[in-house]
Amino acid sequence: MINYIIAKVKTIQRVVVKTSLTRILSIIVVACLASCASVKGATDVYKDPNMDFGAIKTVAVLPFTNLTRDQSAAERVRDVFMNLLQATGAVYVIPTGEVTRGILRSGTTTPATPTTEEIKKIAGAISANAVILGVLKEYGEVRSGNSSSNVISLSLQMIETETGRVVWSASATEGGISFWDRLFGGGGKPMNDITVKAANDLIDKLFM
Amino acid sequence: MTSSINSLCKVLALVVALAVLAGCADLRVAGTSEGILKGKDLRVAVFPIENMSMSPAPLKEMRESIIKKLEEAGLSVIDEKSLEDFMAERRVRYVGGIDEETAKAFKKEIGVDAVLITELELYNVTTPPRISMVSRLVSTGPSPRVLWMDGTGLSGDDSPGFLELGLIESPAVLRENALQTLINSLAATLSHTGKSPGSFSKRFRPKVSYRSPELSASEKYSVAVLPFYNRSQRRYAGDMMQLMFMDYLTKFKNLDVKDIGLIRQKLLQYRVILEQGLSLTNADVIFNTLNVDLIVAGYVFDYEDYQGPLGVPRVDFSALIFDRKSKEIVWSSNSYNEGSDGVFFFDSGKINTAFSLSSEMTRAVTEMAIK
Repeated sequence: MINYIIAKVKTIQRVVVKTSLTRILSIIVVACLASCASVKGATDVYKDPNMDFGAIKTVAVLPFTNLTRDQSAAERVRDVFMNLLQATGAVYVIPTGEVTRGILRSGTTTPATPTTEEIKKIAGAISANAVILGVLKEYGEVRSGNSSSNVISLSLQMIETETGRVVWSASATEGGISFWDRLFGGGGKPMNDITVKAANDLIDKLFM
Repeated sequence: MTSSINSLCKVLALVVALAVLAGCADLRVAGTSEGILKGKDLRVAVFPIENMSMSPAPLKEMRESIIKKLEEAGLSVIDEKSLEDFMAERRVRYVGGIDEETAKAFKKEIGVDAVLITELELYNVTTPPRISMVSRLVSTGPSPRVLWMDGTGLSGDDSPGFLELGLIESPAVLRENALQTLINSLAATLSHTGKSPGSFSKRFRPKVSYRSPELSASEKYSVAVLPFYNRSQRRYAGDMMQLMFMDYLTKFKNLDVKDIGLIRQKLLQYRVILEQGLSLTNADVIFNTLNVDLIVAGYVFDYEDYQGPLGVPRVDFSALIFDRKSKEIVWSSNSYNEGSDGVFFFDSGKINTAFSLSSEMTRAVTEMAIK
């Protein structure tokens, strides 16, 4: 009888341990998945919850900071981004020549990295509700072993001109060497295509 | 057995003969347009050719050939001395266009009805040779306007044919072909027998585009096309894009396109400097002085030709249209293509010059924007 009771208790203990182990594992897996999901949302895009984005009608895109070796890369990417933003029809994008006039009139010496006061002056000169600043981090070919591909990495910030606060910020990376590129070669997608894709990705993040 | 061998021989002979004929088709110089313009009574001055190719070219021979072809076509070309004297007296140095004053003087002083202005965009003599040029006929008198405009871009290996029998290796032959193509086009326009071009190929559509509802396809507009801001490695790429847009816009009946000479004169007169593009202040000056409704401007990022038999041309540009009424951009687009886009087998459909490529791209942009 005693032996039977001891055996039963051991069985119950095993079941309890097994159940709790399964539960702990499940919790860890769910936690990992949840954390992975939140990592992208938290670090990739920032959107000021108190900002009324519908009030922004006119946007000026300032020259991007170019951290790449290609001297014209920032201007190419800026041009594509401006056209895509204009094509949404949601905001009016001030033309490049007019933005340049605003920069010259405000006396801004480093238009890619202006101070809050400079942003307010530029926006005042060209009547912009918001300005967009950008940093082009990568643009061009990357190589790894025998494989090569094109890559672009861009991050943007939108600054509301009345207060000078950052109301939106996002980044996008497209291209790079994929598993199939490594396996079969091929050189990846054309630079212009991935530029449009990255700019589209950023615009999706702005309007999401 | 013998009859089947004979038939086979006949078929083979026919195939070879057809292939040889097909190959030879491109070797000949395009036919002359003799007599087409007879009765037009236009008195034309032919300006010296403006060389934008950045390479030495037989400009004098080319101009002489143009004059000869025009005369063959029935147009009256003013003599060399009269033109030289007029240009010296009026101090005309710029031959890429005519301003209002010169246009008036041409009509009044030497009785010229129109001026033929030609720009050489590419002249490459390495095998296969390549040539691109744009030409336009501008009327004289108080309000000069473009009567005809066309361009051509040819490469020696455009149609190599069977066993490369159609390959053109002589720059002189290619040059004559290009000039004859232009004169034929002029003749067809003046005799109202010109064919309207078909619809543009989808592969040359802009990759990104925006069209405002403010832009109406039925309304009449007067248009000024400004030189594009050149960010490419190729000198004069901005001016070439300006010519390209002018060429296609002049084909729309609801548009009155101002000539480059007029635009240049106003930009110089009012000291308009286009700092990295057109500002609204400058746009206002142009709207008011030229009295236009739309301004076309843009940026060129790539305008690349290649030398030798291997390679592809590449063109990348963006275009903007400013509207006078709304003072806003009513069209914006990004276009980029390579000569081999959409080409899969045996280089069929490949474009060999940046001129021809940008011409197709420009055509797609203008038709999408205006139609």
